[in-house]
Amino acid sequence: MGAEPPANKSTERSKKKPPFPLLAPVRSLLSGWTGLAFWLLLLLLLALYPYTGVSSVALFVGSQIFVLVTLASNWNLIGGMTGYVDFGHAVFFGIGAYMMGILVTGTPLLISPEWGFWQALPVSGVAAALFALLVGLPTLRLKGPYFSIAMLGTLVAMREIARVLRPITGGGVGLNLPPLLNRLGDYYLMLAVMGLVVSLIWWIQRSEFGQSLIAIREDEIGAEMRGINTTLHKIAAFMIAAFFTGIVGGFWAWQNTYIDPDVVFVEARTVEMVMMSMLGGLGTVWGPPLGAVVIYYMEDLLWANLFDSHLLALGVLLVAIVLFMPEGILGTLGDRSSTSLGRLLSRVGRSK
Amino acid sequence: MRNQQQTATMTSDRQPLLQGHTVSKYFGGLAAVNNVDFAVYPGEIVGLIGPNGSGKTTLFDCLSRLQKIDSGQVFFKGRDVTGARPYQVARMGLTRTFQSVRVYRKMTVLGNMLISHQWRDTSLLRMLRPSPANTARRANQLLGFLQIEHLADEEAGHLSGGQRRLLEIGMALMPDPDILLLDEATSGVNPTLIETIKDRIRTLNDQGKTFLLIEHNINFIADLCSRVYVLNHGEKLAEGTPQEILQNEAVIDAYFGA
Repeated sequence: MGAEPPANKSTERSKKKPPFPLLAPVRSLLSGWTGLAFWLLLLLLLALYPYTGVSSVALFVGSQIFVLVTLASNWNLIGGMTGYVDFGHAVFFGIGAYMMGILVTGTPLLISPEWGFWQALPVSGVAAALFALLVGLPTLRLKGPYFSIAMLGTLVAMREIARVLRPITGGGVGLNLPPLLNRLGDYYLMLAVMGLVVSLIWWIQRSEFGQSLIAIREDEIGAEMRGINTTLHKIAAFMIAAFFTGIVGGFWAWQNTYIDPDVVFVEARTVEMVMMSMLGGLGTVWGPPLGAVVIYYMEDLLWANLFDSHLLALGVLLVAIVLFMPEGILGTLGDRSSTSLGRLLSRVGRSK
Repeated sequence: MRNQQQTATMTSDRQPLLQGHTVSKYFGGLAAVNNVDFAVYPGEIVGLIGPNGSGKTTLFDCLSRLQKIDSGQVFFKGRDVTGARPYQVARMGLTRTFQSVRVYRKMTVLGNMLISHQWRDTSLLRMLRPSPANTARRANQLLGFLQIEHLADEEAGHLSGGQRRLLEIGMALMPDPDILLLDEATSGVNPTLIETIKDRIRTLNDQGKTFLLIEHNINFIADLCSRVYVLNHGEKLAEGTPQEILQNEAVIDAYFGA
């Protein structure tokens, strides 16, 4: 059988793609090495930012945004790339925070003398990762909403366990960590963690491991039948996401100097991660960081202007995202045909 | 090894490549597959036919280890794989396609092919890097072989049903398997494309690949297969050459509805 000439087909294809001169290059610029180059440049600029003589409040805001970006990127690894929508991801944040709290206050866990921040921080991550292994083995067998609900249940259960385990966790009273403020140090630490996590996600996405996660999201049975050890890959992704979430939790506890079950095991924190990932673009590398920044400033704006109803406004925003741009900002830029906002944009672009 | 498979004649005293021994699978009280003995020898093209609901796909699922079987054993290359997981038999050299096509819709056609490579000797370090050039070369070759190379950069979700079937066959071929199980590879495919698929199966069989086909298209089966199994109500109704099957009274009653 003679192979048909593919030449005319490909020209046909390029003709079919709707021209959208302004926004189309954004996505191609962000993909591959140029995306990473932009990211590293941004990190460099952010590293120089404190030298412009900014206030410690600005540094604090900076570290808060880095925390959000890191959390969103982490959640995206399991929720966006692997497709396991984790509604209890804040549990790893809480585990990390408590691990930090317990180690540095030296509450009766027979660890004496109490640990320093730098020793406790990696342990926070490791504890969260091990907890992910423990929880993931049963829950990652569940599909779709069942997994989401099981993780939500895990979060709520851990909150109650932290409340009950009084001798270790301080119960409902919580733990007071030594108040050692270092805004500049916090800023650079979280900048480094954020830089590492987002670069790691970029790396994973290009790798066969990352592609296998996407394959699992798209068709898990198909992926398993084609030789991918889906259990192993899912658990690995889950543990990586949990590790860095635990690190962030540990950091947060240190920075906040106080933790109790109700401030670290919060559903709202998970919802925030989901929202930021979705707004930016689920499963993309640069979407969740972008979404985190946008949501941070939007929350700030709403909180300042309509204090009474800012949560309501955020809720409406979430609904709007799901309805009109389920693929997020980057998804809408890339494949406009699949979101209503994207279709609108391309219609506007074409009519010009 | 391939030449051996090619030249060897099919006799029953040779070791089967894939074998089911008294395989049973129940869904509640319903025996979807009931006590079926089954063997595919190296180099064969074997057909599996039967009315809707006769248990063909369930038997496929049992053989490819997607479904746990309730009793019986499955052997692949002489090894008992009854308790193996699907990815394990896949790495041993068994791949399949699905009745309802399973491709990764949000990935490009090429991406679908790349990720379906042979995972048997993939080290952790290898996994942490992008697909190597030789995987891409093989993927492009196979896309050319299946005449869909012009779609390489298209998202798989944008393909037509027939193109997706071809892509799925390509993905099943990527790891260079010993046996391919094709579940209704021709349903929803236009006649010209069916001829293409038939032609490709023959070529691959000449290269030593073994096939097991579920088909409703009797001409397709008759043209390609050396042996045919007929299932009805989960039980093996008949087995033999296509000619024998087409003249078998019980098969005509149950399947052709004459």
